[in-house]
Amino acid sequence: MSGRARARARGMALSPSAAEVGRVQASPLPLSVALSDSEASSSSDHVGTSRISQKCEGGLSSGDAGCTFKERVGKIRREMMDLSVCTREKLAHVRDCKRGSSGIPVKLVTNLFNLDLPQDWQLYQYHVTYSPDIESRRLRIALLYSHTELSNKAKAFDGVILFLSQKLDEKVVELSSETRRGETVKMTVTLTRELPASSPVCMQVFSIIFKKILKKLSMYQIGRNFYKPSEPVEIPQHKLSLWPGFAISVSHFESKLLFGADVSYKILRNETVLEFMTDLRHKTGMSCFTQTCEKQLIGLIVITRYNNKTYRIDDIDWSVKPTHTFQKRDGTEITYVDYYKQQYDITLSDLNQPVLVSLLKSKRNDDAEVRMAHLIPELCFLTGLPGEARSDFRLMKAVAEETRLSPLGRQQRLARLADDIQRNKDARFELETWGLHFGCQMSVTGRVVPSENIIIQDHICQPVSAADWSKDMRTCKILSAQSLNKWLVICSNRAERVTESFLNCLRRVGRPIGFNVNHPKIIKVQENPAAFLHAIQKYVDPEVQLVMCILPSNQNSYYDSIKKYLLSDCPVPSQCVLAQTLNKQGMLMSIATKIALQMTCKLGGELWAVEIPLKSLMVVGIDVCKDAFNQGMVVVGFVASINPRITRWFSRCMLQRTTADVADCLKVFMTGALNRWYTHNQGLPGRIIVYRDGVGDGQLRTLIEYEVPQLLSSVTEASSNTSPKLSVIVVRKRCMPRFLMETGRTLQNPPLGTIVDSGATRPEWYDFYLISRVACRGTLNPTYYNVIYDDNGLKPDHMQRLTFKLCHLYYNWPGLISVPAPCQYAHKLTFLVAQSTHKEPSLELANSLFYL
Amino acid sequence: MEKPRPLRHTWKGAAHEKIPELRRRGLPVAHVADAIPYCSADWALLREEEKKKYAEMAREWRAAQGKNSGPSEKQKPVSTPLRSPGMLVPKQNVSPLDMSGLSLKSDQAVLGGIFYFLNIFSHGELPPHCEQRFLPCEIGCVKYSLQEGIMADFHSFINPGEIPRGFRFHCQAASDSSHKIPISNFESGHDQAMVLQNLYRFIHPNPGNWPPVYCKSDDRARVNWCLKHMEKSSEIRQDLELLTVEDLVVGIYQQKFLKEPSKTWVRSFLDVAMWDYSSNTRCKWHEENDIVLCALAVCKKIAYCISNSLATLFGIQLTEAHVPLQDYEASNSVTPKMVVLDAGRYQKLRVQSPGFSHFSSSNQEQRSNTPTGDSPSGVKTSGQNSSVRGRGITRLLESISNSSSNIHKFCNCETSLSPYMSQKDGSKSFSSLS
Repeated sequence: MSGRARARARGMALSPSAAEVGRVQASPLPLSVALSDSEASSSSDHVGTSRISQKCEGGLSSGDAGCTFKERVGKIRREMMDLSVCTREKLAHVRDCKRGSSGIPVKLVTNLFNLDLPQDWQLYQYHVTYSPDIESRRLRIALLYSHTELSNKAKAFDGVILFLSQKLDEKVVELSSETRRGETVKMTVTLTRELPASSPVCMQVFSIIFKKILKKLSMYQIGRNFYKPSEPVEIPQHKLSLWPGFAISVSHFESKLLFGADVSYKILRNETVLEFMTDLRHKTGMSCFTQTCEKQLIGLIVITRYNNKTYRIDDIDWSVKPTHTFQKRDGTEITYVDYYKQQYDITLSDLNQPVLVSLLKSKRNDDAEVRMAHLIPELCFLTGLPGEARSDFRLMKAVAEETRLSPLGRQQRLARLADDIQRNKDARFELETWGLHFGCQMSVTGRVVPSENIIIQDHICQPVSAADWSKDMRTCKILSAQSLNKWLVICSNRAERVTESFLNCLRRVGRPIGFNVNHPKIIKVQENPAAFLHAIQKYVDPEVQLVMCILPSNQNSYYDSIKKYLLSDCPVPSQCVLAQTLNKQGMLMSIATKIALQMTCKLGGELWAVEIPLKSLMVVGIDVCKDAFNQGMVVVGFVASINPRITRWFSRCMLQRTTADVADCLKVFMTGALNRWYTHNQGLPGRIIVYRDGVGDGQLRTLIEYEVPQLLSSVTEASSNTSPKLSVIVVRKRCMPRFLMETGRTLQNPPLGTIVDSGATRPEWYDFYLISRVACRGTLNPTYYNVIYDDNGLKPDHMQRLTFKLCHLYYNWPGLISVPAPCQYAHKLTFLVAQSTHKEPSLELANSLFYL
Repeated sequence: MEKPRPLRHTWKGAAHEKIPELRRRGLPVAHVADAIPYCSADWALLREEEKKKYAEMAREWRAAQGKNSGPSEKQKPVSTPLRSPGMLVPKQNVSPLDMSGLSLKSDQAVLGGIFYFLNIFSHGELPPHCEQRFLPCEIGCVKYSLQEGIMADFHSFINPGEIPRGFRFHCQAASDSSHKIPISNFESGHDQAMVLQNLYRFIHPNPGNWPPVYCKSDDRARVNWCLKHMEKSSEIRQDLELLTVEDLVVGIYQQKFLKEPSKTWVRSFLDVAMWDYSSNTRCKWHEENDIVLCALAVCKKIAYCISNSLATLFGIQLTEAHVPLQDYEASNSVTPKMVVLDAGRYQKLRVQSPGFSHFSSSNQEQRSNTPTGDSPSGVKTSGQNSSVRGRGITRLLESISNSSSNIHKFCNCETSLSPYMSQKDGSKSFSSLS
């Protein structure tokens, strides 16, 4: 199941899209492209698209899903919108060069392919009007395409806007065609724009071209990606099949147009909904069949293989049978059986099955009516992995073996795709008519920056592996730790014994690292959340430093109620541990070490540091996360360092009511953090570097115009003479490019600390990629950094190295992590609030890492 | 506030007219303010024309007061009528004189006032283009007064009716993530008309005045819609006016301190987790299935919050009807209590008191940050002291001195009444920095 499908499955489909803000402040260009395919595709023929006018359930229709051309125009894809935001030109120190210099050069292969265009290539945009006006998009397209003048030209047309790679002879061309009914239709084709190849509109047209090409390679679009059902990977023992496929994008990097492809898999279950239902009927019997069936099926995502589309089961209509009729779009009545026979040549075998109901997403934004599709269980295949399958270790392993490609395997798949595109006659023809040439795979030169030393209390250690230095740390004293004198342990009666042995262990591992643990007060309670909460309310007093709860199960209600109470109502750091975890006797020592380190952090301790050459630097992490319960709420987390060594953190978190992932309260947060810095350091920080995570596609402009000013105003108000210098960096964990290192004949993941700041970066941005984690299997994803605001004027090299250093400082993991520590802290904080407490944590905890 | 401002005087006019009658009934009514709690229910019943009459009166009255009306108005001890407190925001710049004018009697009136807290749960919210926006499934209501605590409660499951085709998943998901009431085949669900009838009988058993009914502002749209929907199916017509608890809290707070608390404070005041699992709070079904979200529990918890923090300010001894005391009874002999005194003098006291001691913890900083800047109140015994500070301590010291009595008091009004909490960072200006 993809992330989006999961979100949908959780019932968030109805929430307004997060792009609203971005869309309002869209790029200054007249937005126009949202073409789907130019060919009159039968792109949306759900069976029985019905309207929920509720009066006539049978008022179904099919065919083109009621989406006339008018709604299709006027939207530009979100990620394209970011491209029109040019931040680099405002940053004087990187205008000429944004590349760093330190480190050992390394040659890397990318998943990007050159797309060559003639020097003077241009795209011509035309506007087409019809007289008399025609509603049907299909008819519009058919009429225009029938003209010889256009028939052998490369073109893309959505019913209104026509793109051509060659200019027509005249600026305005009048054409006329005859419909089958004999009406003469006059078409006026007017040239509106000539676009250079670097224009964002062109990127979208290129995407459409590649969509066509992949279709010609018999790949189908499901969601955003393209899959090949003809070459499935079967996992018969688990009744699963995987469709191999690709996520693709065409974009302008540095100086070249590049085609990017990434391997993707679609997981399908080899079981139709009908089979599932029959199975269930045998298991449960007739009596409560419909209820169990509804319980198990509703919310699942199915795919109909006849058109390779996915739907969510929203309801089951037991009263409708395949022999019933529905109304097609043209008004004629037809039975489901006949419809499938005619449309897809499929014969339905079970004529007594009910139909599944799926709500269709309205493509237009006006909320006129709800449209529903009726689906036949026999033709619906279950997709994704159900909850119980996810916890099936062997199944997940079998899936991972197929999907987690080694660097070499990934390269082979990419090479085959490139080969297919170049060899397929139709694909080649399509490219050629547009004047495109599919080139070779691109290589870039990255740099591997030197590894960092870890500073612990009495010495500096050079870890054996930067990915995990827990072994190097085991006996080292941590930087600072409060001793734990008065604390509570709450456990169930059953868990008493394991708790005792765990506490012994905790004391044993605490001593060498410098964390003194006194005997706690142990409270035994019954196994229910209420008992835990009562015990906490009863025994927590102001002197209690920490509450530890040994939870009998990972049922949410324990964790949520305890955290909510101890975070807001009665602010005391808390540590929840599952009793189950403590039962693993062999691992108890390492578990205890991890928990001891976490507890020190929660009490305000510091574990380790790295050398930061910049004095008086404050780093800030911001993350935004949607509240799990409340659709209209987002949680904004803000974490700032409050000492020059960057080992102590101040945090704020707020819930705000909005549809966009944009933060409102940054000024208050920043002011709070500067205040805190002032009280600790008797001065203001000289520099502030903000890492902003959780940015969606198309929000870059909003960020620059809305969030950066908030931070700036707080910073400038802080001091009358020299205010701190501010930099804002957008962090993205997901990005298209991947990098692989060539070693001899084979390929490997690049080493830790690899930085790429050329080739795969964007000319209009001050950006770079950094690899700061390892993968034992599979291929690494780099983290993408985009500096959108920079007063500090640090050399690119220093900015990159600093970012790398900050990836070492996440105290929950003794090793490098994929994002800078403040980002991960902010993420942890927002996640805790969004998932469990849904309430702002108390400010009294703001100085400790209570959210670890 | 939805209502136009002039109404405030309008309403006062009506109360003014009532005073003689109330006096005849032997009620201690000295001012308009005292009369208001007695009239609020009557006001709700007035027809529009009648209200207009009073509006006219108010206009005349104001005209008669002339330019002096401003200050003279301030002289009057404005006891905030609880019906619509937001409309009667006392001026922030009340002089100390005015504060002393706050009579005990008006307190008494607030104490005796009866409110109803109502909540209705739904199986999710359907998108705006659907005719049916909510599917009511559970209703809870409590009758409450500051003096008596929860006097009665009402709870019922509601048969949500047919789920609109295609929305089963949506409703199921919404239910699963909150109250977990089954969307179909749930035997306890009662017929909507009957539930509504029972509810009205509960709120309003005798003909005459409708008491004020409150719910949280976030829930108001849903509760209102559900009531209207149920009315439609049952053909009972009662224009029950739903007010928000937030305004009520603001009102009570103003009544006591003549200051408006911050919105954030009010919100966090009402959203506490401590009673989530208290006994005798949730309905039987939710209790048995151990699910926190229950319509009845939401109402009861509002009552607990108000009792625990506000009722104590009026010097009311909390009973089991105010907060679920029984859960905490056992603890009072073990927990050491830390008391934080004002003006930086922190003193540790070990007293016998029930469990909420941590509330008074570590608010030293906050208190020193509060921008009000009045003098440390120290220990006072006068009941009229209008400042938040000191009252908790006063009462605590009292409780120490009467330690023979084992009445449990929740001494947390101190901290829970610090509305500046949320502003801690913002309010601190940077003047200290540069």
